[in-house]
Amino acid sequence: MLALSLEEMRAIQRYYRSLNREPTDVELETFAQTWSEHCVHKTFKGIIIYDGEEIDGLLKSTIARVTRELSPEWCFSVFEDNAGIVDFEGDYAIAFKVETHNHPSAIEPFGGAATGVGGVIRDILGVWGEPIANTDVLCFGELDYPYEKLPRDMKHPRFIFTYVVAGIGSYGNNMGIPTVNGAIFFDEGYVGNPLVYCGTVGIVKKSRYRREAKPGDVLLLVGGRTGRDGIHGVTFASAELEEGAEETFGTAVQIGDPIEEEKIKRAILKVREAELGSAITDLGGGGLSSAVGEQAHRFGCGARVHLERVPLKYAGMKPWEIWISESQERMLLIVPPSKLERVLEIFEEEEVEATAIGELIPERRLEVYYGDERVADLSMEFLFHGLPRVRRAASWSPPELSEPHFEAGNLGEDLHRLLAMPNIASKESVIRTYDHEVKAMTVLKPLQGEACDGPGDAAVLKPLRESWRGIAISNGLNPLYGKIDPYWMAASAIDEAVRNNLAVGGRRIALLDNFCWGNPEKPENLGGLVRAAKACYDIALAYETPFISGKDSLYNESPLGAVTPTLLISALGIVPDVRRAVSMDFKRRGSCIYILGETRPELGGSHYYKLKGYLGRSVPKVEPSRAKRTFAALTRAIDSGLVLACHDLSEGGLGVALAEMCFSGNVGARVELSLVPAPQEMRADFILFSESNSRFLVEVHPEKAQEFEALMQGTSFARIGETLGRELVVTHNGRELLREHIAELKRSWQSGVVL
Amino acid sequence: MKWEVRVAYKRGVQDPEGETTLEALRMLGFKGVKRVSTAKLFVIEGECTREEVERMCRRLLANPVSQDYEIRRLAP
Amino acid sequence: MKPGEVRILVLRSAGTNCDAETASAIAELGARAEVVHVNRFIRGRRSLEEFHGMVLPGGFSYGDRIRSGAVLAKLLSHRLRRELQRFVDEGRPILGICNGFQVLVESGLLPFGEVGQVKLALAKNASARFEARWVYLLKCSATPFTGKLPRVSRMPVANAEGRVVFPPGEEQSLLEELEESSQIVLRYCTREGEPARGDYPANPCGSFADIAGLASPEGTILGMMPHPERAFYRYMYPDWTRDSALGMGDGCAIFEGMLEHILKSQG
Repeated sequence: MLALSLEEMRAIQRYYRSLNREPTDVELETFAQTWSEHCVHKTFKGIIIYDGEEIDGLLKSTIARVTRELSPEWCFSVFEDNAGIVDFEGDYAIAFKVETHNHPSAIEPFGGAATGVGGVIRDILGVWGEPIANTDVLCFGELDYPYEKLPRDMKHPRFIFTYVVAGIGSYGNNMGIPTVNGAIFFDEGYVGNPLVYCGTVGIVKKSRYRREAKPGDVLLLVGGRTGRDGIHGVTFASAELEEGAEETFGTAVQIGDPIEEEKIKRAILKVREAELGSAITDLGGGGLSSAVGEQAHRFGCGARVHLERVPLKYAGMKPWEIWISESQERMLLIVPPSKLERVLEIFEEEEVEATAIGELIPERRLEVYYGDERVADLSMEFLFHGLPRVRRAASWSPPELSEPHFEAGNLGEDLHRLLAMPNIASKESVIRTYDHEVKAMTVLKPLQGEACDGPGDAAVLKPLRESWRGIAISNGLNPLYGKIDPYWMAASAIDEAVRNNLAVGGRRIALLDNFCWGNPEKPENLGGLVRAAKACYDIALAYETPFISGKDSLYNESPLGAVTPTLLISALGIVPDVRRAVSMDFKRRGSCIYILGETRPELGGSHYYKLKGYLGRSVPKVEPSRAKRTFAALTRAIDSGLVLACHDLSEGGLGVALAEMCFSGNVGARVELSLVPAPQEMRADFILFSESNSRFLVEVHPEKAQEFEALMQGTSFARIGETLGRELVVTHNGRELLREHIAELKRSWQSGVVL
Repeated sequence: MKWEVRVAYKRGVQDPEGETTLEALRMLGFKGVKRVSTAKLFVIEGECTREEVERMCRRLLANPVSQDYEIRRLAP
Repeated sequence: MKPGEVRILVLRSAGTNCDAETASAIAELGARAEVVHVNRFIRGRRSLEEFHGMVLPGGFSYGDRIRSGAVLAKLLSHRLRRELQRFVDEGRPILGICNGFQVLVESGLLPFGEVGQVKLALAKNASARFEARWVYLLKCSATPFTGKLPRVSRMPVANAEGRVVFPPGEEQSLLEELEESSQIVLRYCTREGEPARGDYPANPCGSFADIAGLASPEGTILGMMPHPERAFYRYMYPDWTRDSALGMGDGCAIFEGMLEHILKSQG
């Protein structure tokens, strides 16, 4: 099954007509892999006509453009490698990559999710990085989705959720890489299209980073043996899921072996330390066919490969199957011939198979042999530049939505129900199945507070033994806002990822984008994508947060329709001294509670509206200049040691954030809503549950209040209450709106999602 | 020769995976299920006698404290 | 002997993954920690004689296939039997953490220091899940490892097979025997130091008699499910932001005790 378009087939036909011969099966498969959406990102690199405007390369004119225009000196490698790399300290840099593994996880959730984790870890190994942490963001259908509504062959969200979580835990735990951060989002749009975002952070030594292969260097295939696993995984990821997909794509799901990958990791790090390799890459989508071609292309040469040398799991594989197999736990090293012997020794010591399968050649050709037979002979020029650019139409018009009208009810009850909503509720039962502390680097853990069960905003790691410098890892995801306007969804996701990072003390933030969308050949799908990408440019540029890597997974369609368009923004910040990192739990009684940022009647796509059965249209917006002042002031306050606790306001707004800070710290609070800075008159319930961006709650010791307020001058902020007792009390103009015991609030919050 | 070795928890040792499976099956509407127990199955092929397979069980495949094993000859 | 001359082996195999932080904890205390693959010993390239003590760190040795720790344990007890028995008989301390505890049990080194005599099992957690959480530990007897540990200490567990199982029918007699010889060293307890009495999550694995750590009769072999290397410094604690004191954590005491014992016994 070749997922090539008619136009692409024609280009290939013309090529062979000029050669006066027929293509071989290996060659055709090479085109199908190398030209797949998954490998070349045709949509993001093609030409898009968006409501009359011609966009020549969406990636380079939005997301990559942010980085180009900012061009920060601390970006070491962006959009070039398997992962983005930024400076950390001295010779050390940090690599970060987030991938998706959606289709395989829909069909076989355990294996799909596990190999998703394994794959992104290899992206880090593929930049000579040592993986030190995982982050996983998951989107599922609602767990109480009626069985009778499920199409035949589709797995229930509860089943997918259970086994995706098990798969992620299994791979990370077995390999000894802590899963330190994540999120789980439930929405009906994910029933047929669950999303599994797997991210890995690693340490790179800049002086050991090698990308200098040349003709004559040996192509060394290392790791597991090659089998039929994952044949056509790439073309599968670029095709829509239809009923019966399980049978057609059965071989597309791979099995993972984290112990094999752990051994490979050890061997690669030894090769790195001894500076024996000249280049490295992982074998991902497309297997050898993509990896060999891309490496040869990168070094401006060609490659000769002997497929009969590839160690196989079983006999009887055809050359094209070997060439495109996606068997897991394999990497491609490029090694100068003089270093080969030493490299082979290292792999033997770690009990990892390593086989020289070919070499780089000066001619810009891709020559593939099976024994004496030449099974492919392609011009690199045509393979990498012959792909006709796609031209796609895109349009977007705002959906017809209106603001709901309803009376405020019992706010105490509403707060309890919000806390129990699956998107807000505690994910502790999931987090505890992930080892989040192995390596002993996790300084700020996903669960925080007095009973170690409160929801942290970001994870903080201390990667080096000899330094207090740390990194903060956070994410932002707001699929509900995208139902109103993808532009503000993207803007909000960036804001959320950034503010989560700032809340713990992160700064100098780098971003990753990850789009999961429906079929981009449908103009309305693509229109939303363009809007989201435009917001990425506008907001990230204004925030001075460059994108360093990204990924797109398009064609997420099922018999139930397209996936809810989803953009995950992952953020990597620097914490100059981890001892100054801030957790979200209230620390003591008698502290001042401040809110930073402005609260506006922005409840469109909020969880309060969702609770009441509405979507609305007043989606939260971002005002970068105002937000940046708040961000800078907060960072100054944290650096001055004035911040006892800090929590960002997101789903459920002020009410939920307050409750979380209270029950995590086992300290009550009293708050007056009329003090909350708002540019216009608002209903009390809207102040309490609005999801306006760029806001934080901060706990400050009363003795430091004056100093704190001085630092915040020029920003929107207010002291809205104090910590006391064991209850959360909220008043509006002195009238008591809710009074709830924090233990009860915690119970509601902990009841929402049970693994 | 082909042997099958079945390793299961001894009576009296809690089988959490079995219990979880039981709960899950009941949740999915299989009300008649009374007990689920789990076991691990090894299929061993090669030139080995029953005595050798016994030794494999005692030496590696089963923990004598918590697990019982059963050996069955599959072929020939 | 000076602390800098103490050589500790951190033994690894395929799937070991807590070796770096464990070695680092030992090095922080001034001793020399070396991470060596078990194959080096099996192939005779290195010898256990070179070391004053040994740590079996956490991880998933050989993928925990068959049972946690079983493959490495059988390799040790069959391929390195004599060397290992000598190491034990000479009183050189061995610390098994998490997977290392599983290896000690599956090799027979615990509870009676007899290579090949399996008397216990570490089975699947009662929750049927991997459990990553901080626990409170009650010190029930003093061994070289636990001399400096406070009566109630805190460390994290992270395992799927940490449930101590005694032979069915012999639970009470074996328990009494181990209690008599002060071999039950650590038990899961509440924050206040009350026994967990099997309650989840204070006893996160469902361990028999709340057992979290066991020692050999002489006290020179200790196996424990919690990870002391992850509680080495206070900043590793999950709630350190609530407490301004940032110094050493409870886990440090375990390694300190081991090193002091070596220094004392080596004179």
